Amino acid sequence: MVVRERVTGVDLSVEMCGITLSTPLVPASGTLAKEALGEVEGVYGAILPKTTTPAARAGNPPPRVAETPAGMVNSIGLQNPGVERFMEDLDAFDLGVPLFVSVAGETVRDFAALCERVSEDGRVAAVELNLSCPNVEHGGLTFCAGPAAVEEVVTACRAAAPTKPLFAKLTHEGVVGNARAAESAGADALTVMNTIPALTIDAKRRSVLVRGGLSGPAVKPVALKAVHDVARTVRVPVLGGGGVTSGTDVAEFMLAGATLVQVGTASFVRDPVEILAEFSDYLREAGMGAAELTGALR
Amino acid sequence: MKFYTVEIEARRELGAYTLISYRWPGEKVEPGRFVMARAAGYPVTLDPFLARPFSFYDFEDGVASLLFEVRGRGTALLDRATRTVEVTAPLGRGFEIDASAGRAALLGGGIGVAPLKILGRELSARGIDHDVFLGFLDAGTAAVADDFAGASVATMDGSAGTHGTVLDAAPDLLEYPVVYACGPNAMLAAVKDAAGPDGLRQLSVEERMGCGNGSCNGCVVPVDGGYVRSCVEGPVFRAEVLAW
Ligand SMILES: Cc1cc2nc3c(=O)[nH]c(=O)nc-3n(C[C@H](O)[C@H](O)[C@H](O)COP(=O)(O)OP(=O)(O)OC[C@H]3O[C@@H](n4cnc5c(N)ncnc54)[C@H](O)[C@@H]3O)c2cc1C
Ligand SMILES: Cc1cc2nc3c(=O)[nH]c(=O)nc-3n(C[C@H](O)[C@H](O)[C@H](O)COP(=O)(O)O)c2cc1C
Ligand code: FES
Repeated sequence: MVVRERVTGVDLSVEMCGITLSTPLVPASGTLAKEALGEVEGVYGAILPKTTTPAARAGNPPPRVAETPAGMVNSIGLQNPGVERFMEDLDAFDLGVPLFVSVAGETVRDFAALCERVSEDGRVAAVELNLSCPNVEHGGLTFCAGPAAVEEVVTACRAAAPTKPLFAKLTHEGVVGNARAAESAGADALTVMNTIPALTIDAKRRSVLVRGGLSGPAVKPVALKAVHDVARTVRVPVLGGGGVTSGTDVAEFMLAGATLVQVGTASFVRDPVEILAEFSDYLREAGMGAAELTGALR
Repeated sequence: MKFYTVEIEARRELGAYTLISYRWPGEKVEPGRFVMARAAGYPVTLDPFLARPFSFYDFEDGVASLLFEVRGRGTALLDRATRTVEVTAPLGRGFEIDASAGRAALLGGGIGVAPLKILGRELSARGIDHDVFLGFLDAGTAAVADDFAGASVATMDGSAGTHGTVLDAAPDLLEYPVVYACGPNAMLAAVKDAAGPDGLRQLSVEERMGCGNGSCNGCVVPVDGGYVRSCVEGPVFRAEVLAW
């Protein structure tokens, strides 16, 4: 396998929540389709498909993506076939590595029901709660609008899935307070961060092009600070991400305190194999194993 | 997404459009498939950030070619590339070809001519009769029609061929058991209307793309009951599938 040849002589393995991963890289939810899995065999320590919801969602009308300097804004609208069809099709994501599942609902009860449904399946190693979607019971504010909202939803999910590792995925706004709330409500790990609310305008047509979330290299410094601040505040491990585009970026997020690193938008413009190979080169030069890097800022 | 740096074998201008070709050692390129392409890769092109989709214009003896129109920054940079460009492997689903279906009409609007060259080549190789109809804004863009022997041409300003749209240059499409079209979405909708519901009607659509391999859900087109990704389920669709 191409990947293996390029990462020999370094220890890439890491451990999180009792799960052993062959590399610290994980695809960010919503950025790796099953059709593209073949290209990334060996790169990721776990697979994390797009967020699933209680019922099928058609998603937003196009245009859904717009390019920005060093990034893009997307407004996909969580298009997905709904949890039942998603679970039927789950084997399509089997690359022989642990499988994390991302869920989102419109109410706390939705979230809890999803956690119960997916965690009872032995193929699911952990559940990520995508908390940046609107909570219809709270006037459309998101589930990570503040510590109280985070605490309520994570508590309900914890009760619904008492034994499965639960990750709470947060946005950068108010991230430290929200991280504390998620930890005290029983989250086993925190994913930091989701996209940043953003807008693009087509000046020629004098119209809004895409209103959605900004991702890609442009958001990296914001994400690094969020990861750094959270990792210094909580005891649970952090899955860091936001703009990770190179092997050095992976190292930076781990130094900031991440145990696992999510790669999203960059996988549209680069071969993730390259990112892992660069990260291996970094470790080789540093004379370190991946697991030693977390929080190892001097 | 994996990108390959390829050397530009040839570059020439076909009227207002630019053609570049490169050696593609991989599998044979099927008509209607596309690549994501850019002038240079990471880290040079953090801006413009995304690669752009382009249909294959031709593929012969292991040499693939792309035909493009300079529209914005991505295509302007491609136009300036002299030595190499970066491309993905062929992507998407191309045109269905059915040798038993009968005579085919190929309709192109503007830069939508691109996939019709390789499609015409394949139809000829399989002995399938076909007629080509091309519509352009003006004589400058219409110059590419010289590369399509026997094509009927229309221009919006009347400076070359029939005065009007590509449909004004074509006879009744209902006469054709097979219709293939590529061009702006408004033209495709008009072709869908004119071609009627029967027979094999295939349209190559143009949507904004993020990834090109199905991962971002950005490039969707409306179908009955929702949206599908045009980069993996298309870019060529049967006309009746599209909810336009
Ligand atoms: C399947 C497919 C095949 C295509 N084949 C060809 C071809 O063979 N030759 C050719 O010249 N063009 C083709 N196009 C259109 C081509 O991709 C756009 O002209 C190009 O992306 C414009 O990029 P730009 O940087 O010059 O423009 P900009 O306006 O600077 O682009 C900004 C962003 O908008 C997107 N965008 C702008 N216009 C379009 C458009 N019309 N369609 C899709 N995305 C757009 C770009 O990809 C980019 O992300 C094809 C499009 C698709 C979807
Ligand atoms: C096209 C696209 C779709 C996304 N879909 C989801 C999703 O379904 N669930 C989710 O939790 N995050 C989603 N995200 C956010 C990413 O998982 C990630 O958190 C964010 O993009 C920042 O990382 P990046 O800069 O590496 O992409 C999506 C991002 C993009 C670009
Ligand atoms: S361009 Fe990303 S799914 Fe089609």
